[in-house]
Amino acid sequence: MNVTAGGVSVKAGPTRTETDQPNVQDARQVGDLALDVRGLTKVYRHPWTMKITPGLSDVSFTVRRGEIFGYLGPNGAGKTTTIKILTGLLKPTAGEAWLLGKSFHDVESRRKLGFLPEQPYFYDYLNGVEYLELAARLSGLSARDAAKAARHWLGRVGLGERARMALRKYSKGMLQRLGLAAAMVHEPELLILDEPMSGLDPFGRRDVRDLVLEQRARGATVVLSSHILPDVEALCDRVGIVLRGKLERLASVGELVQGGTPRVELRVDGTPLLEIPATFAGLLERRESAGDTVFTLHDASRQQEVIAWLVQQRATIHSVTPMRSSLEDLFMAAAEGSAFQAPLRREA
Amino acid sequence: MTAFLIAHNTFREAVRDRVLAGIVVGGLALMLLVRVAAPLAMGEDVRLTVDLGLSAITWLGMIVILMVGSSLVAKEIDRRTIFNLLSRPLPRPLYLFGKWAGLTAALCSVAIVLGVALGAELALLGRAAYLPSLAQAVYLACLELAVVTSIAVMFSALSTPVLSALYTLGLFLAGQWCDDLRSFASHAPGALGTLLKGAANLLPNLPLFNMRTLAAAGDVTTGAHLGIATAYAVMFCGAVLMLGAAAFESRDFK
Repeated sequence: MNVTAGGVSVKAGPTRTETDQPNVQDARQVGDLALDVRGLTKVYRHPWTMKITPGLSDVSFTVRRGEIFGYLGPNGAGKTTTIKILTGLLKPTAGEAWLLGKSFHDVESRRKLGFLPEQPYFYDYLNGVEYLELAARLSGLSARDAAKAARHWLGRVGLGERARMALRKYSKGMLQRLGLAAAMVHEPELLILDEPMSGLDPFGRRDVRDLVLEQRARGATVVLSSHILPDVEALCDRVGIVLRGKLERLASVGELVQGGTPRVELRVDGTPLLEIPATFAGLLERRESAGDTVFTLHDASRQQEVIAWLVQQRATIHSVTPMRSSLEDLFMAAAEGSAFQAPLRREA
Repeated sequence: MTAFLIAHNTFREAVRDRVLAGIVVGGLALMLLVRVAAPLAMGEDVRLTVDLGLSAITWLGMIVILMVGSSLVAKEIDRRTIFNLLSRPLPRPLYLFGKWAGLTAALCSVAIVLGVALGAELALLGRAAYLPSLAQAVYLACLELAVVTSIAVMFSALSTPVLSALYTLGLFLAGQWCDDLRSFASHAPGALGTLLKGAANLLPNLPLFNMRTLAAAGDVTTGAHLGIATAYAVMFCGAVLMLGAAAFESRDFK
């Protein structure tokens, strides 16, 4: 079913693209899939009232090796629940998942996994190098390699000068960087980053983007959840949009953006009293900007008609700019299309 | 290996915690105080020194268990530091074992420091003959602390710090009197006697680790006693940790 919301057309309900389901079993067997999630469901039961709260409902998706996959959704949608199940922190009510070909029930599936939790917390009695050494050794590095990797990664995230500083003295941004370093210190093949840009200034965000791209260039697969949609749009090959515990949309960023209704923005002058004719009602919006008027046409196929009308009205056209839908538009449209409503009951 | 890493980190946490340093200083101050008060013991000053010194090791260790051990796992869950550990290839039972081993190692270190201080005091008093019995008593105190730590770690993995401290203290006190309970059970009629005997057998047999009276007299215990106490501690800790691990395995970390 197509739903139009906010001028953007999206498909409501789970959508599959050619990059997802076909030959998933084969791909997993030949090691092409970094992540294969099948029917993941989580139901929370209150211990006293026995009241059931759905957390995640039949979520299925795959991520191929070398991809950067964005996992999007508002607070309480189920992003963190999915990620915690994949990283062994939550037990699913139903469903299966394979990380790098190994079942998520097997702790060895986390050997080549790097994970950055949302708002990571650290042992404040340790210093930076001690923490990274611990993280590296727990992921299987020898003492010697762990010490070397810890030094390298502290320098890589800009904390080399503070290697021996107690973590209780680190700022929020420094802790976020340390969390990223801990996720990458053992050079994992699959990285799951929950809100990696959280708490970072624009420079920090740029560094994270660079780090993620660097990891992909190294051959790693990255799954990231984020609220900062322009970053997701810039980084990700594909995205999944999860709303109220259900995967509502799954497609490449290009498909999503191309799939939206193309718009055109026209900047004109000399139209202060011009009224939009009935033939363009609902298609054309106007707003006054400093010095000129901006018309937004929601159906690019009627661009020539609008231009002809403006010329006829003796308006001066300064510019005609095709506009593509941003991921944010599509995200909002998907949310509205699924009748998603705040407030939300639980943390994502 | 991963359990060792967790144990090492837990040991590091305990050693860097001010509670442990305070306990060591408090223990040393207590021994000094006993020496000052020794003339009041009317010739029993050595007995008093050994008895109070060994009691201090157990009770100060108990304070560490209640303050640190009862919140050992719960604090990690509450502060979410556990996310960074369990998202790595670390089986949950090994995590729990590592936490227990690390805190036990820290407690044994405290016991050894206080035991060495007590031994030095006795040597200065010209009572070096007490040292073998003192060493045995400190060893048994370490086993006792290991047993109580396993209980604290199990409760800590399943409950809040306050509740796990209460449960641990309750079992520690009940365990101290389990011989009395067993004796009472032998006099109780029928089903009640069986029930009490069963309860006494489930409680930690802490009197097994108490040789303060012997050590205060300078007497050593038998190798068999030490062997049985060691075997009992290993089995009890193993059973309690396995029980805790079974429940911890299915726990969700929201």
